[in-house]
Amino acid sequence: MSGRPKRLNHPKSVYVVGLVFKIITLTVIIAVLYHLTLSHHGPNLLTPLKTKIEEKQKSEIMEEVQHLEELEVHRHFHNIAPFPEMPENLRPVCFICHSDYPHSKSKKVRAMLNMHTQFFTCEACHLEEDPGLKVVFNWYNPQDENPKGPFFGTDYDSETGNLITVTDKLSKISVFYKKGDKLESTIQMQDAPIAIDYMKIRDKLTPDQRDNVKKKFHVRIKPKGHECKKCHDRNSILDFRKLSFSDNRRVDLEQLNITGMITKYEMFYLPNLFQGE
Amino acid sequence: MKHINHVRITLYFSLLFFVAVAAFATSAYAADKENCLMCHKYRFLGRIDEHGKKRNYNVDENIFNNTVHRNVPCRDCHTQIANLPHDPITEEVNCGNECHIKPPFSTENFSHKKIIQIYNKSVHGIKADDPEDLKAAKPYCKYCHLNPIFTKVEEERVASSTLRRCLNCHEEKGVSQAYKHITHRLRHKTSRSRQEIVKLCSYNCHENTALMARFNVSQESLESVETYKRSIHGKAVALGSEETADCVSCHATSSIHDVYKKDEMMSTVNERNLKRTCEQCHRDVSDEFIKIDVHSGITHDEKPFLHFLEVMLGFVLYGTIFSLLGLAVLETIGRKKDGIKWQIREGTTWRGISKRGF
Repeated sequence: MSGRPKRLNHPKSVYVVGLVFKIITLTVIIAVLYHLTLSHHGPNLLTPLKTKIEEKQKSEIMEEVQHLEELEVHRHFHNIAPFPEMPENLRPVCFICHSDYPHSKSKKVRAMLNMHTQFFTCEACHLEEDPGLKVVFNWYNPQDENPKGPFFGTDYDSETGNLITVTDKLSKISVFYKKGDKLESTIQMQDAPIAIDYMKIRDKLTPDQRDNVKKKFHVRIKPKGHECKKCHDRNSILDFRKLSFSDNRRVDLEQLNITGMITKYEMFYLPNLFQGE
Repeated sequence: MKHINHVRITLYFSLLFFVAVAAFATSAYAADKENCLMCHKYRFLGRIDEHGKKRNYNVDENIFNNTVHRNVPCRDCHTQIANLPHDPITEEVNCGNECHIKPPFSTENFSHKKIIQIYNKSVHGIKADDPEDLKAAKPYCKYCHLNPIFTKVEEERVASSTLRRCLNCHEEKGVSQAYKHITHRLRHKTSRSRQEIVKLCSYNCHENTALMARFNVSQESLESVETYKRSIHGKAVALGSEETADCVSCHATSSIHDVYKKDEMMSTVNERNLKRTCEQCHRDVSDEFIKIDVHSGITHDEKPFLHFLEVMLGFVLYGTIFSLLGLAVLETIGRKKDGIKWQIREGTTWRGISKRGF
């Protein structure tokens, strides 16, 4: 006996068969262990431990939030269609505190105002005007430096009359500072150094300190957005043509439906609409 | 005289034609004639209410226009809305409302009243003497009937030859949708998948034993979800079967809403009706067959023999696997003690010479 094994130079198929056999054996072992410990078909040996760990991590607030979301799906009846969301770090800093439904004060119009968050960044309406700086509105998408569209809501489907179906649902109209030929974004992102720093120390700050820091994020932000007519008018501050809106859509937004709605709202519901949201 | 009759007939048919055109025009007219979707088509039309609940008022126009409700004007359901733009709505929609849609071959407006009557009599219907918390816990129409299930069905197997016959008189769009609507219901008891039905009945309701216990249900009912999941039906459905019985298959007739307690004569799982219920799927159903407990708990006290068998099967399963594993471990230890090295290369896992010289 030389000490070297005799069974050398097996054909490759033997290795393959061996590998398959090992995978099957391992799968069976894992399945049996799962059956024995956690599966509700087996004796649940580790279930008490799992429950104990889950109990520790349990959050009543989280449970209630999830329950309410579930109830909303049932209450709503009409399909809530899935809608793509921007990754958290690519959202403006506003989303650290505010959601897609930021308006809540004015009961009569809060839903209508929130509807605009699908089309606009917060700054588009709430940026403090600076006489020394020229601003322009353009489409903005943090995932695409130069979004080309077609953008959601800019045209109608000629067959159905519905808004056209588009792939780019995340681009929004935003406001930029025009400096020479260049456009400078007015948006502070969540991955900006100040935002990252704030997120890091947020829980360590006292409520007063937290309020002070939050003010930093609102330096150029005015609490009251633009009046409806600033955009929904023939002399709109938005150049709908330049923003790739079709003529039909532009006319609707500038003149027809929305203006009628606004007039009605002003007359019947919104005596204080333009006095702050 | 003949001429007058001719004119009369012409006038009569002209009138009929115009009535038909008017009727068609009414049915084909967009349901959203008041342009509610002008605002409601937007995804983020909504708010966080005073209680911290997110309220979303979006109605996706592309989806809605493909649902069976597409021809129902919004205010046929949302009757509280009197003017536009409207005040916040506080009342829920009443699914028993009559809508301004006339079903084919009928002169009466469409309504869900008939099925609501069946539902009201069922165990899920709210009774006058129900305690308040039970009333609140019972499923209302919208709880189960989310609009996604009203999405236009895709019946791939529509018989084009049959449809061609219909098209001799009827318009293609209308009749093909009606044909799909009917044939789909002939083939499937519900539009939901088996898995969706089980999830719907269990999640938040029958699976919530704390909630069910408050309503003094029987022990069997309390354990119904758990025992179903352990049953052959539950396991097959969990593995994706579309043929195996879900909750509705056994507990309701084709009207789906007529779920009754087991001891009620109307119940499909009442002893008197069990045979017929099982025969929906099984052939040659005998009196012995219907005695098989579908929701079997297999506890030591209730079914000692079955419990014994289950324990023994467990021993066989775990015994076989762990004995083999144990043998492999002992063999490995033995070889290592014997001086043989474990080495995964050159076509073998072991090499070296045993202390015993071979």
